Amino acid sequence: MSHFAWKAYRDWPGHAWLALPIRLYLGSVFLLACYHKVLHPDQFALDVATYQFLPLALINLFAITLPWVELGSGVLLVTGWKSRGAALLVALMMLAFIVALASALHRGLDMSCGCFASNAVAGDDPISGMTLVRDGIWLAMALHVLLFDRNPLGPGRFRTWLRRRRGTSLKTKEDVR
Amino acid sequence: MGAGTRATRPVQTWKGVVIDALVAGLLLSGLGLVFNALYSDGIPLVADKEYDILVPCPEPLGEVFPLEPDGLSQEGTVVIDAREPEQFDEWHWAGASNVPFDFLDPVASDKVADIIRTRARRIAVYGDGEDPDSGRELARELAGRGARNVFFVPGGASALMAGKASAQPADSGDRGDRNGRTGNTGDNANRSGGAP
Repeated sequence: MSHFAWKAYRDWPGHAWLALPIRLYLGSVFLLACYHKVLHPDQFALDVATYQFLPLALINLFAITLPWVELGSGVLLVTGWKSRGAALLVALMMLAFIVALASALHRGLDMSCGCFASNAVAGDDPISGMTLVRDGIWLAMALHVLLFDRNPLGPGRFRTWLRRRRGTSLKTKEDVR
Repeated sequence: MGAGTRATRPVQTWKGVVIDALVAGLLLSGLGLVFNALYSDGIPLVADKEYDILVPCPEPLGEVFPLEPDGLSQEGTVVIDAREPEQFDEWHWAGASNVPFDFLDPVASDKVADIIRTRARRIAVYGDGEDPDSGRELARELAGRGARNVFFVPGGASALMAGKASAQPADSGDRGDRNGRTGNTGDNANRSGGAP
């Protein structure tokens, strides 16, 4: 893709509308994913330990904080406030998940994903190549929001629209005077 | 929204995006720590002991071949029963050795070495015949750990029992045992009474 084509695509004004369903979907996925982890940090810590990826000293800290980052990112993506920052967080989390999953698959670990519920509950959600593909798609969605949704539909855009509208109406009054 | 919306407000810089992400990440992590401290089911920040992880680690698996029941009585064949000891006691092939297969724990190395040391022409394993068949799984494990010419009986003990001529009461004086020591080869099985 040439520089001009890239710039034209990047500056396409329709991105905000294209990104809206992506944001809502991705945000909902993360809100759904965090629910069980927030309420059952002990089970999530066991899920994290099952990956045999983090040292013991970091497992609990990770299990305590990650669900809240997922929760906050989900809320920001759905509402459209600071959504690019949230998309960056989601992209980093997805990268980390993909690395951990790929490592577990490479070692041949026969385990559940633990993505939406604990291993004990989600016994029928084993990790596989499809889990990697799914996470890759979610990573691509997060990157799309991060790179192209530069003027997202949400509170920021509404405020700008409101300001502009007020400015316009003031100008009209001045014109009348 | 038309083309005019592009210039409604300045596009956020990358620095701003990274700062937003950092601030959100730190604030949310802090919120998580506070929640965990107040939550009745909260966990310690650092685990005080290792987690009990029950993930079956893969054993190296080798190539195995199906074997018809009558193949068990051929000369130079070591027969292994992969079922639980109770099932082995109820019925087993004459001269078979009991090496219970566990999906979580690999077979002890000394048992595997014992089987390989027999230098049998072939090793025939039968299990419960279910899906997955413990006999086939044990056969694959043995083959993966150095045993050669390993076969399994499709259908397992049920298939053997179905051909009732092969059926042997457990106390028929055969030389198989429950400690994984290999009993006899196929020709002995015939002499120990009753194998076809």
